[in-house]
Amino acid sequence: MNNIIYLNGEEHKEFNLEEDTIIYHFSIDKSSDITINLNKEDITLYYYYNNINYNDNNYKIRVNHNKSNTKSFVYNHGVNVNNSKLHYWVDGYVPKKSNGCDCNQDNQIININDGNSKIWPNLLIDNFDVNANHAAYIGKFKEEDLFYIMSRGISRKKAYKLLLSGFLLNTDSIDKEKISDFVDEINKL
Amino acid sequence: MLNIKNLSVKVIDSDINILNKLNLEIGNGEVHAIMGPNGTGKSTLAKIIMGHYQYEVTNGSIKFNNKDITKLSVDERAKLGIFLSMQDPTVIDGVSNSEFIRTAQNEINGSKTNLYEFIKNMEFSLDDLKLDSNMIHRSINKDFSGGEKKKNEILQMKLLKPKFIILDELDSGLDVDSLKIVCKNINKYLKDNKECSILIITHYPRILEYIKPDYVHILKDGNIKKTGDMKLALEIEKNGYQIIGEENE
Repeated sequence: MNNIIYLNGEEHKEFNLEEDTIIYHFSIDKSSDITINLNKEDITLYYYYNNINYNDNNYKIRVNHNKSNTKSFVYNHGVNVNNSKLHYWVDGYVPKKSNGCDCNQDNQIININDGNSKIWPNLLIDNFDVNANHAAYIGKFKEEDLFYIMSRGISRKKAYKLLLSGFLLNTDSIDKEKISDFVDEINKL
Repeated sequence: MLNIKNLSVKVIDSDINILNKLNLEIGNGEVHAIMGPNGTGKSTLAKIIMGHYQYEVTNGSIKFNNKDITKLSVDERAKLGIFLSMQDPTVIDGVSNSEFIRTAQNEINGSKTNLYEFIKNMEFSLDDLKLDSNMIHRSINKDFSGGEKKKNEILQMKLLKPKFIILDELDSGLDVDSLKIVCKNINKYLKDNKECSILIITHYPRILEYIKPDYVHILKDGNIKKTGDMKLALEIEKNGYQIIGEENE
């Protein structure tokens, strides 16, 4: 894809897209409100939101499939470090006029402690001709994953770091030089 | 090398006993196989040797090279040289195979592995196992076929160089050709590391045709009921587990 956008902590933003786009959004302890309009037929959006949270914050994202045959794949990964509030509202909207759309979202929040984390994975579909999926997970890293990593001689602390890093930098195509502050923040966890 | 004495194990936070005063001694360079019906505790034995979090030792001890490992953490056991090739290897999204294996090597060796050496050894091992070189950049076991997952376990074994290897149902999910490749690699490892011992956990004697066991044990009801050699494995295949005096499950 030619259109690749990096967002580092932007709080409110609206995109009107007319070409295939990847958006990497990295946020440290901020609330965000993002709207994305898919305004041309046959275009695809990949949206990767990764956030490290310490205090009470909200994250809202709405993807509007304004044209037919548009596709969206939204991946939201958050780590809630303290016992604070982290709420995700994730809306995928397909109106009646837009046929053949593909609307997907995958949401996960890892609570390091006992954070008040919530996810609303909303699919607002007004069309029968659509492929739509949503998933939401809130919890800790799985003990089975830690067992597997530790069974190769890696300490629990380092195993946890590997999992955190893999969770928050979850695509190979990220240019880490553009998100050095975020990478530094992961290393502090 | 491995000495298990009167080992009783139960599932944590329950009264379910899995192993009951089990005894097993494995010497340096020996290959042992454990066979038994479903649900008799074979995989539990593998996991408890590795220190799995779901099980609790209620009696007895596990010694590795005369050191009691019963209370050691999982990574401490691995650092001593114990390696468990898992029946169903875990998928871990976001962590690449190369990052994982290199971190493990650094931790086991206590120093940073030379990158050139790491890449060279990795390439040789991938070639030995007929694995696509791209797999090292992929997330651990993600979208791997059953055969690729098992080969990935043996890739890790080759690169981490353990002293004691547990193969938990290595043959499940492997086609005949892949099983031959994997076993050839294990045999080569044994040839190069004469002191290394293996515990094979299996339902079927097929894998034992490729990795010859010195001893075959039959596990039932949480205990070893009978010990023999390859003939015992073949007898089990022919007549089932009735030969140990109880009805097959």
